[in-house]
Amino acid sequence: MAGILITDDTAFMRMTLKNILSKSGFEIVGEAADGLEAVAQYKALNPDLVTMDITMPNMDGISATKEIMKYDANAKVIVCSAMGQKTLVIEALSAGAKDFVVKPFQPDRIVDAIAKVLNS
Amino acid sequence: MSESFIDESMIEMYLFEMLQGIEQLETAVLSSEKSSEFSLDAINEIFRIMHTIKGASAMMSFTSIASCAHYIEDLFYFLREQKPLRIECSILSDLVFEGVDFIKVELQKVKNGDEIDGEASSLIKKIEEYLARLKQQNAATDDTDPSFVQQSYVADETKAQNMSACENYSYKATIYFQEGCEMENVRAYAIIHKLKEIADEIYFSPEDIIEDDDTVMIIREHGFQLYCKTEKDYEEMQIFFNQTVFLRELELIQLEDDQPITHSIGDQVPAIENIVTAVEAVKKVATNTVTNQSIISVSVNKLDQLMDLMGEMVISEAMVTQNPDLKGLALDNFQKAARQLHKITSELQDTVMSIRMVPLSTTFHKMHRVVRDMSKKLEKDVELQLIGETTEVDKNIIEHISDPLMHLIRNAIDHGIESATERISLGKKAISTITLEAKNAGSDVVVLVRDDGKGLNKEKILSKARENNLLFKPEDEMSDKEIYSLIFLPGFSTKENISEFSGRGVGMDVVTKNIESVGGSVSVDSVAGVGSTVTLKIPLTLAIIDGMNIKVGHSCYTIPTIAIKESFRPKPDETFTDLDQQDMIMVRGQCYPIIRLHERFCVNTDVKDFCQGILVMVEQDGKIVCLFADQLLGQHEVVVKPLPNYIRDIRKIVGIAGCTLLGDGSISLILDIGGLVGNNIT
Amino acid sequence: MAELMSSEFLLDTEEDTQKDKFLTFSVGNEAYGIEIKYVTEIIGIQPVTEVPELPNYIRGIINLRGKIIPVMDVRLRFKKEFLEYNDRTCVIVVDINDLSVGLIVDSVAEVMSIPETEIVEPPQVSKSSNKFIKGIGKVGNEVKLLLDCNKLLSEDEFNVINDLGQEK
Repeated sequence: MAGILITDDTAFMRMTLKNILSKSGFEIVGEAADGLEAVAQYKALNPDLVTMDITMPNMDGISATKEIMKYDANAKVIVCSAMGQKTLVIEALSAGAKDFVVKPFQPDRIVDAIAKVLNS
Repeated sequence: MSESFIDESMIEMYLFEMLQGIEQLETAVLSSEKSSEFSLDAINEIFRIMHTIKGASAMMSFTSIASCAHYIEDLFYFLREQKPLRIECSILSDLVFEGVDFIKVELQKVKNGDEIDGEASSLIKKIEEYLARLKQQNAATDDTDPSFVQQSYVADETKAQNMSACENYSYKATIYFQEGCEMENVRAYAIIHKLKEIADEIYFSPEDIIEDDDTVMIIREHGFQLYCKTEKDYEEMQIFFNQTVFLRELELIQLEDDQPITHSIGDQVPAIENIVTAVEAVKKVATNTVTNQSIISVSVNKLDQLMDLMGEMVISEAMVTQNPDLKGLALDNFQKAARQLHKITSELQDTVMSIRMVPLSTTFHKMHRVVRDMSKKLEKDVELQLIGETTEVDKNIIEHISDPLMHLIRNAIDHGIESATERISLGKKAISTITLEAKNAGSDVVVLVRDDGKGLNKEKILSKARENNLLFKPEDEMSDKEIYSLIFLPGFSTKENISEFSGRGVGMDVVTKNIESVGGSVSVDSVAGVGSTVTLKIPLTLAIIDGMNIKVGHSCYTIPTIAIKESFRPKPDETFTDLDQQDMIMVRGQCYPIIRLHERFCVNTDVKDFCQGILVMVEQDGKIVCLFADQLLGQHEVVVKPLPNYIRDIRKIVGIAGCTLLGDGSISLILDIGGLVGNNIT
Repeated sequence: MAELMSSEFLLDTEEDTQKDKFLTFSVGNEAYGIEIKYVTEIIGIQPVTEVPELPNYIRGIINLRGKIIPVMDVRLRFKKEFLEYNDRTCVIVVDINDLSVGLIVDSVAEVMSIPETEIVEPPQVSKSSNKFIKGIGKVGNEVKLLLDCNKLLSEDEFNVINDLGQEK
């Protein structure tokens, strides 16, 4: 079972993702509320994949993605972005994120995306 | 949208976070308004909160909330990026508050399980217009967005040279994305971005994918076409493209070796520089302090459960240590162990209670908004001063004091505080102050709402009370405090002062009702010309109280110790019956009415003579009565439980606040002194 | 997912096994039946704490392992004469629309199956206690009066006032 680290500054979104992903057979190994936590947890937990919100306090998702890629060049990060954050998504992809989904997402969409990235 | 993953706890979480965000946002707007300037930090924060609300609300399919938040977010995006110089602070904050109020109303609907049917379009139009105006006004400073360097990608020289040694294949790929996956142009970019790692020459169409959002439509309709040269074979390329997320369809064709691929797309394909470097760095949200407190959020239900268990434990402890089987036995070691157990349970109880304690600060800070709106509409300059906002009370209680506080503050600004001109002519400071103060006092928390207005008018109150038949005592016998307290009676509302905010038919009795429902009391004091102070006395916690158990016939009742003044057995000549057949007793020259509990509650008892039983003198809200019972059973900590729903549905029993379990497993009814006292006098 | 399905499955079968099952008990000379799905447990009579200002058929509240539930004397609810409680007196704890209530009955008989085909409508007599009966079940030569639990618990103002009047 693939271990996933969820990053989002809202507990609501974390819960949503957790519900969706755990129902689809993924294991949620950790949850981070901002970029700093995400980087720290990545180092501690070595998850198979990270879902990354972009707009977060303390450290945003892009910097966090960069940090994680610096630590582990093979890290798999999927960005969860809101509509209209085009520039930021592009920046995140350049930073090493493997793909992105746009909020609000349908449950099967995010599951698809994660499965694809994990298999690549 | 599929709602299979949305359950109640998520809605709870959603509401919690949205409301929390809104609170932060209001604070940010209020402080900005005060300093007449929206700082970059404040703008960032408002932007971020609106962004969060938009995302979460869209996830829950609450589109009206999401779009309202979206437009405010847009507005603040503009403020953040363009830093326009001319912002009319008060207009902006009005606009934000209007949006916040809309969202609040909708959230309330979510909470109540109602349909989310609010119409945000007029509000959105307002925001759009404001934004348009801002853009126009600040046109001078409005530089064109720093845009990306034109695109098209050619591998760097070295890479190309290295590759040229290898055998190269050319491919043409057309990619269709799944419907509704959004931002197809960025997805296309992502493919190009990844493709760069394995291919050298890449051309694609439509080409303007990052700049031009219209390409989204082209990609949706015609797919995304690309040509590339790579050393990978067909199968590898197919695997590569199939990894594309949200891929619906892929056409992959291997081209003839030498075919110049540039040609096949023709002149459409411009060359790109490295896009990556062109992407503008995001301005980071100011990182303030990185608080790394280890805090976990726990659902209130679990805390309630813990509290219940704690209550059971207190009862069980009593069941063991006061077990009737132990009566008359000398059990030194047992007693020692029992004392130890008692010590631990009470410590545990304190800890469990402390978990439920929350500071009043959030509730207090909410009042800033109330003061702002009121003072703006009534054109009175009011400053709100908060003292002791860190004082903690039980979570349950917090919910009950927000409305009363709001009511009191509105009332104070509306009726208490004079207009600025009046204040100046009276030699007072033009800016008036309302002070909200909280402090601990024994097992109570005292909250004071103080204003420096004109004070209560005794004459007006008395005439009003006369009109409404609320006087229960000759006027000349009433103390000032008793006169002031009249304003809390139901049916009292100084109609001449009815305004938009206070006195909408409902009066101050709402405050009393709310506070009494959590076992507290309200009193008021006032000095003409100097101001009034309303005092709310609230118990620290609801769940466990110190009570005196009494017996009447076979029934057992519990009186909250806090209400008891004294208990005694009267002498025959101290009691008498007045003309209304009301039993009275004379204690130290004062007469008090006696309530025979056996009559009041219709229970059989042999003890009907006052001299054989016991009188317990209780006080609530300054009213004193004596309760007549058979005997005292002793003082214990009891866990307050509500009466079963079925009974509460049938009727509200006056004089009974709830029930509790005693050490022997039997049930005792907890008396509601306020109900007994009030009922007896009126 | 699998867990979800299995619990649903369980629920289904449970519902099936509960279908047509009634707990029968007696009050006076009559035998009554109550749908088994409402019954949570049966206990002997407990010490009852009286609560003032309630209709006389609500005897008060009891402590059921830390949970406080109201108890209703079915005899008094049917306007029959009060009978002192004895060792055959039982409390049937029912859970109806999330309300837990104990029903005090003379004695409890057994759980039996009464198929729908054996249940007939109650006669349309305007006798007041008949309103609690939603059907009459035939078991051999015997007749069981099947209770409508919702009506048993639902309160009409008229009744409350009446009962209070009698109490005074």
